[in-house]
Amino acid sequence: MKLSNFLQAAAIFHKDFLVGLRRRAAFAAMAMFSLTAIASMSLSVGGILIEPKLLAALLWVVIFFAAGAGISGTFEDEAAAGTLATLKLYAAPQAVLFGKMAFTLASLLALTIFLLPVFLILFDAAVAQIFLLLATILLGLTGIAAAGTLTAALTVSASTKGGLFPILLFPVTLPIFLPAISLTEAALTGAEFAPEFLLAMIFYDAILTVASSILYDFLD
Amino acid sequence: MNKIRLESVSLSFGRRELFKNLTLEFSAGKVVGVIGRNGSGKSTLLKLAAKILKPDTGEVNIHGAQTVAAVTPEMKIYDALTAAENLNFFAKLRGKNINPAELGRRVGVDFETEIRAGDFSTGMRQRLKFAILLAVDADVWILDEPTSNLDEAGREIFLREIKSGARGGKIILLATNDAADLEVCDEVIELPAGGGDFS
Amino acid sequence: MWKLIIFLTATIIAAIIFFVPPVQGLGELAKIIFFHVPAAWVSVVGFFVSAFYAAKFLRTGEMKFDELSARAARLGFIFVILATVSGAIFSKLTWGAYWNWDPRQTTIFVLILIYGAYLTLRAAVPNEKARAKVSAVYSLLSVLTVPFLVFILPRMYFSLHPEPVLNSAGRLEMDAEFLAVLLAAVLDATLIFWRLMKEKT
Repeated sequence: MKLSNFLQAAAIFHKDFLVGLRRRAAFAAMAMFSLTAIASMSLSVGGILIEPKLLAALLWVVIFFAAGAGISGTFEDEAAAGTLATLKLYAAPQAVLFGKMAFTLASLLALTIFLLPVFLILFDAAVAQIFLLLATILLGLTGIAAAGTLTAALTVSASTKGGLFPILLFPVTLPIFLPAISLTEAALTGAEFAPEFLLAMIFYDAILTVASSILYDFLD
Repeated sequence: MNKIRLESVSLSFGRRELFKNLTLEFSAGKVVGVIGRNGSGKSTLLKLAAKILKPDTGEVNIHGAQTVAAVTPEMKIYDALTAAENLNFFAKLRGKNINPAELGRRVGVDFETEIRAGDFSTGMRQRLKFAILLAVDADVWILDEPTSNLDEAGREIFLREIKSGARGGKIILLATNDAADLEVCDEVIELPAGGGDFS
Repeated sequence: MWKLIIFLTATIIAAIIFFVPPVQGLGELAKIIFFHVPAAWVSVVGFFVSAFYAAKFLRTGEMKFDELSARAARLGFIFVILATVSGAIFSKLTWGAYWNWDPRQTTIFVLILIYGAYLTLRAAVPNEKARAKVSAVYSLLSVLTVPFLVFILPRMYFSLHPEPVLNSAGRLEMDAEFLAVLLAAVLDATLIFWRLMKEKT
């Protein structure tokens, strides 16, 4: 990436951050969605001890759908406000993509910082390997941000948007979820984990990022 | 010499054929007015020239000029940001350092305010969009109805800046429905109603 | 072309009914495998053909490649549904449950999701040019999942599936006639797919 592209991406990140702070809707939606989802599950099982495997799966399901509620509007909100056309005129396509991807990752991280303690407390779950859990979450969110940003760009031209975003995102992020759930389970129980799953996640994140970058140019 | 050349450009929207075999040249240092009835393709012609739209066939080449800026009705600014934040953001995208207060004086609005652009009046927002165009100091100016929603004083400021931009060697395309805007134009292109065959 | 396909199909059906011995202990219905394997094969082929034309469309911008990419996906979607249903029946007969998330069942399920997502996206975008672009991009994005799923899935789920035709030991573990009919059926299904791709609309 050229230096000017990097500076543009940084400017877009900063702008999205300012707008995000003032229009808290996207973040509030993500946070409330995850809280509602966790509460509804925790309430309905009512204190029964849940198997770590199921717990790990629940955590990622909540993260996925909360992310869907929050980041599907990455491009759509700007398109609806009419600012996307301006942004595209003044900034390079790659800068738009990476600025937005960085902001998406930042909001997902913020979401998880809020969601994870709530989740662990309400389900009374102990974490045996905290670093493994954090690494897994970081890698998982990176992949969701990479695939999610491109997917959000795809849905801009769609007329029916309801539900389209998670439908498109899920199959593409499946290679993240499966190892992430398995690693999260190991992090909760302290069992031995498969290091090749961590490597696979790193590799897939990298591939998703590069592919998003290449494919985004065709959308212009 | 900077110029934009459209070479046998054709474009249609579904079954609506707007341009067929259109060849045109816009050179630097001139304000070219584009007029025509609604639906004649004024805005589309501007978007083609700015490479915002790609033609179905034919080519658009921008020679010499590096950067494009635009004031059009569909290109909006960020309502959640203040005037200065909007200006600084777009200037930063183009690597420019600017002084919002000074730009505010040029277009006749106080930009040193905490008021967000969303709370501006339509005319003030139009002036802010024009200030962004001035801030990024691009080689090509795409102006689609820039003086709509402006009062007389605003129009005078805009037309004066457009004239001085042309003197500074910019390529300026001005689509308008307002005869008063034509006084700054060095050339005027009139598009036939409903687009047309230009071959 | 259709004549050849009809002849081949008729021959294969006759061979399955009269020639191939009943699968041991599973009865006649287990011969659905001759339908399941070719259908699964074509649904995978359709997926890659769709992605191939998607890439061609993005390179050239010619709408005919978008049409071909969409058609491969539509056919693939039909075949993947057929493969899933027939696979579930075979699964019930052999392992006692319609569904048990073994790696290959999971793969085919992911394929259903991808095909479904792709076709939903197409239906949701009204503008022709925009639809062609976004669906081509999605098609290529979804292809990336394949190598990872092939790597990850067998490590996550225990497989009940029969070994591939050529197993890891490189030995054939099927009757020669069984195998010949199966391969002919795969060829037949591929020909049907190929012919339908060329069908004029």
